[in-house]
Amino acid sequence: MVDLLATSPDTWRDRTGDPPVIPRELVPPTTGSFTDRVRALRRRHALRERRALENYAQSRKPERGWPVADNAAVLAFFRTLFRERRKMFAALVVLNGLAAATGLVVPRLLGELINKTVAGDAASSLNSLAVLIVVVVCAQALLTFLAQRTSTVFGQDLLSSAREYIVRTILSLPLGRVEGASSGDLVTRVTRDVGTMSRSVQYGVPMSIISGLTVVLSIVAMLLNSVVLALPSLVVIALAYPQVKRYLQRAPKGYINEGATYSRINSTLTETVEGARTVEALGLAERRVAAGDDDIDVSAQAERYTMTLRNLLFAVIDVAFNSPRVVTLLVGAYGYAEGWVSLGQITAAVLYVEALSGPLDRLVGEVDRLQVGVASTSRLLGIAEVPPDRVAGTELPDGPELVGEDLRFAYREGHDVLHGVDLRLEIGERLAIVGPSGSGKSTLGRLLSGINGPRTGSVTVGGVELVDLPLETLRTEVALVTQEHHVFKGSVRDNIILAREDSSDDAVWDALSAVGATEWVARFPGGLDTQLGSGNQQLTPAQAQQVALARLIIADPHTLVLDEATSLIDPRTARTLEGSMNALLTSRTVVAIAHRLHTAHDADRIAVVIDGRIVELGSHHELVGKPNGEYAALWRAWTS
Amino acid sequence: MRDFPPVLDTFYARGGAGPPTGPSAAPDTRTPLRFLIWTLRLQWPVIVTTTLLGMVWQLPPMVGPLIFGHAVDEGIVPGNVDATLKWGALLLAVTMTGALFGILMHTYIVRTWLISLYGTMKLVTRKAAQMGHVLPRRTPTGEVLSVASSDSDEFGALTEILARTSTQLVAYLVVAFIVLSTSVELGVLLLIAAPVLVTAAFPLLKPLHRRQEIERGRNSDLTSLATDIVAGLRILRGIGGERTFGANYATQSQLARQAGQSAGIWQAAIEAVGVLFSGVFVVLLVWLGTRQVISGELTIGQLISFLGYALFMIYPIQTFFEFAQKLTRALVSARKAIAIFEQQPPWHDVAEPQPLPAHGDLVDGLTGFVAHEGELTIVVSAVPEDTSALADRLGRYLSPDTEPISHEIGEGVKGRAARRARAEREAERARLTARDEERARRPWNVTLGGLDLSQARLTDVRRRILVSDTGSQLFAGTLQDAVDPHGRLDRDQAEEALRVANAEDVYDALPGGWQGRLDERGRGLSGGQRQRIVLARAIAADAPVLVLVEPTSAVDAHTEARIAERVADVRRGRTTIVTTVSPLWLHHADRIVLVQDNRAIAEGTHEDLLLDSPDYRRVVTRAMDVDDSSPGFETGASAPSSTSGSEEVSVRG
Repeated sequence: MVDLLATSPDTWRDRTGDPPVIPRELVPPTTGSFTDRVRALRRRHALRERRALENYAQSRKPERGWPVADNAAVLAFFRTLFRERRKMFAALVVLNGLAAATGLVVPRLLGELINKTVAGDAASSLNSLAVLIVVVVCAQALLTFLAQRTSTVFGQDLLSSAREYIVRTILSLPLGRVEGASSGDLVTRVTRDVGTMSRSVQYGVPMSIISGLTVVLSIVAMLLNSVVLALPSLVVIALAYPQVKRYLQRAPKGYINEGATYSRINSTLTETVEGARTVEALGLAERRVAAGDDDIDVSAQAERYTMTLRNLLFAVIDVAFNSPRVVTLLVGAYGYAEGWVSLGQITAAVLYVEALSGPLDRLVGEVDRLQVGVASTSRLLGIAEVPPDRVAGTELPDGPELVGEDLRFAYREGHDVLHGVDLRLEIGERLAIVGPSGSGKSTLGRLLSGINGPRTGSVTVGGVELVDLPLETLRTEVALVTQEHHVFKGSVRDNIILAREDSSDDAVWDALSAVGATEWVARFPGGLDTQLGSGNQQLTPAQAQQVALARLIIADPHTLVLDEATSLIDPRTARTLEGSMNALLTSRTVVAIAHRLHTAHDADRIAVVIDGRIVELGSHHELVGKPNGEYAALWRAWTS
Repeated sequence: MRDFPPVLDTFYARGGAGPPTGPSAAPDTRTPLRFLIWTLRLQWPVIVTTTLLGMVWQLPPMVGPLIFGHAVDEGIVPGNVDATLKWGALLLAVTMTGALFGILMHTYIVRTWLISLYGTMKLVTRKAAQMGHVLPRRTPTGEVLSVASSDSDEFGALTEILARTSTQLVAYLVVAFIVLSTSVELGVLLLIAAPVLVTAAFPLLKPLHRRQEIERGRNSDLTSLATDIVAGLRILRGIGGERTFGANYATQSQLARQAGQSAGIWQAAIEAVGVLFSGVFVVLLVWLGTRQVISGELTIGQLISFLGYALFMIYPIQTFFEFAQKLTRALVSARKAIAIFEQQPPWHDVAEPQPLPAHGDLVDGLTGFVAHEGELTIVVSAVPEDTSALADRLGRYLSPDTEPISHEIGEGVKGRAARRARAEREAERARLTARDEERARRPWNVTLGGLDLSQARLTDVRRRILVSDTGSQLFAGTLQDAVDPHGRLDRDQAEEALRVANAEDVYDALPGGWQGRLDERGRGLSGGQRQRIVLARAIAADAPVLVLVEPTSAVDAHTEARIAERVADVRRGRTTIVTTVSPLWLHHADRIVLVQDNRAIAEGTHEDLLLDSPDYRRVVTRAMDVDDSSPGFETGASAPSSTSGSEEVSVRG
């Protein structure tokens, strides 16, 4: 037997001298001159940036879990979605453009009025001009309504297509990967990432289009009003561009890092609360509080990084977007004196520059949000990049005989868990597989049920390889039964017809009656339409188990593989389920990966698996009689 | 508290007995408003500073139009270059000052927001640490967590809006003064029109909010459908049903889309009304203003500055409404926070706590169960609840025999019905609290060395008696952290613990060995792997009295046999209690106690009991099932279980 702890001296670590989670350099100095402090702030900012970028890079290339797509895939994805809605998108642009344009007419009219007032002939045209402005305002209101409405319809439509695509992708993930992976990463993606994507698709996409249009049209309006007044202001605004670009390159990564720190805070706290009893029993309160505080310290650094980024941005854009009013005043005064511009033009120009900073700010913010949304979307699209684990052939099995030959399998390259196992199931027999942890018995079960394909050798049913069968066929040939008794949100019917989705209600009732569940289902006022799952009609563990068994009755496979590995079992529930279970097992071939020896005792044959090989195979009586037999020794320990 | 993250010692002081390093006062939980005031008072200097900075930040919109008007009247129109430059310079100075203070204001807003946010998170963590296993007994975990994850943000938002509202109030008053002193007629129009404009959208807000609520509801249903699909994905891919549940999701997604669109249409209507009203307002102002200019009451520059103010006045009013909304939301959140923070641990150490005797037997008065000092005692019962209840009593834990009381009341419940529902919940929770208190106060009826556990300090009891129950949880971190959470072991001890629990394969399977990472709650390990790491941790803790509840229910017979032998060996000479019915454990026991209906009805060695006690034979042979004539494979295969996944294979490099 190899020593599994051989590397222990290399990986054990003395943790007493561990550095604090926040390096000392990130703590601001409390003394020193102003310039020293500014210099220290710059160093801290640079360090925080490095930490944020590292975390960001890690999130793009996760060591474990599902892959992440690249930005090109995201752009291609949205390009397709946009293309499918070309007309709606055109309407969105046109309507928003018109709404913004009418809004820009008003300052011009006001400038006109000022001019007339200065010239002294306002009295005659005041009323007609006022009426004209009211008409323009009414048109603007109407167009705003239509434009906003189109934006919402567009955003929501885009969003629903995107999320439905993601769920379809999840529902077609390769069987082998789904059985092996932990679902945590996937849960985060369908909750947090879908949330982030939703916000940016729903608001970010339309808002950035609207802000962008408004900015462009405002500039056009300013130029039409007076080139002399507009140009200097536009130059000043344009000076902010390098800083805005700098910010937009960094900020999304900062926000993604920030979001990750909050998930971390959340998951640590969740563990502390859910594990409250463990925390108390082991005296871990101090450590849990410290872990929570550490997470917050890390998060605070992420917040400080983006805060400084924003401050650096504000320092430039607050000046660049607001000083045009001064520029307009001074240029206007000069131009007025020279006779180039009228007072009305100055007034209109001021109203334009004042109104421009809003959409400009929003545009920067929305581009920010879009980029964060792209990052989440790339995690969602990464799910689609998992390669399929099988290609279905067309051959159909001839008979129910299940044969495994020369089976080898490795989860890690070069680490075979099975070393050439041969196993032929007799039709209708009950075979128990026993063996210690890590012996490969569960892996054998997975190969026999077609969850994974073997590295070498083959598992065939009726002469056809399991992994060559379409999933719909595979499921009706052989099924792997685990302890999972998940009750889905959906009707009773939905919960049962899984394997044959076109099953009639009669078939559902038959399955329910086979597992002894007719009575309680019939008591539901909604019958088969009763909604189950979290937040709906709750089932007892025994009822949930019956639902799980009824699913298998509907699937009606000729061979079942039962994995008993986890069996936190309530004996009272178990008794009531015996009948249901027997109904399922009758007249099928059954392979049980046994944990309890009584299962083995009652089986027709027992296979003892040790270190990836079947070392003993035979009936209980044959094996128990073997001197020095593995099974015999175990049985003695069990019954002595 | 001047900066984030705040330092807090409320509910739980870090560093053991050391002096508190931060405010340790308990929050004021008498009413939601008092609670909010308490949180604001903790950081009042920051909020006041933010407000003062904000006033300077608002300088450009406050005086900008005025300056511009003067520049027009005194500089541009008469062609006075000096005056233009003077007013232009002033406008530039004001703009720059505003920009500078904008940065400071932003820094302080972030600061005050995060002090609130992080502070609330820290309070929740500390409350959980203080309450221990009693908290999840009383309150659903989700509600505790949402105080930290979402209510905390409402408190942050409140500090921000509070600072901004005071700033805007000052701005509003200053502008009011300026416009009234220029023209009473236009000033009054401006001051009255602004609130009217904002309130004009009110009738539209109600239908909007109703639709937004529907949209939120459908979206959260949609999220839970997606989570549900992921949770059951193994079944959906293994047995089938992709089409059904894909279609269910698509249907719900379309419902959410429709709800979002109908809310969006009301939102569009509100925006359009806003455009219409503020446009009409500007026209009115200009019409009146121009007439005044014509009649000579107003200069052209003043008219232009009025136009500027007309654009600005909307913001303060909007801010005031925003304040009202956020205050309401914060009050709702405060009520949820109070439900957590007002709870107190039921334990009170007696006036003169006794030291726990160093030696002696552990005796449960209720069942008559006795565990002799230094022996391995196995508790056998036909009903697992009986043994876990006994284990809870032995360790002085309140049994998880109550449903936590939710603070949430149904979505549609409003007004008086809501108040009544809330009052009922309060009463229920008060009853539960009183019952816990009562149980904790009276003698515990479990003695160690003759001393009732209630006479000793709870911390002493915890240190002496370790109960590792079936709900024991692993935490995210390295394998080394999991086995040695306190950092007290040397490598040999840790290796020994892994060997005793037969968990060397977990070490081998994790890339990085001791430094290999476990996910939250040990997710990613199989049920059997988790159970063995939990066992290794319990063994490594080296408690004088160790109680193991069903420690090997998820491992196979081979492994169980090995674990039983090694645990018996390593714990030799120290009091150990194991609850199980597995024969592989039973013949390692020094003594076995059979518990039935809360009574210890038989005791002795495995062999004795098999001979003497028919009840024992029934319970134990049921587990062995040798004589059971029912067809094999009967039940173990598909028992309900909270864990899933197969035994050996879940951790891979």
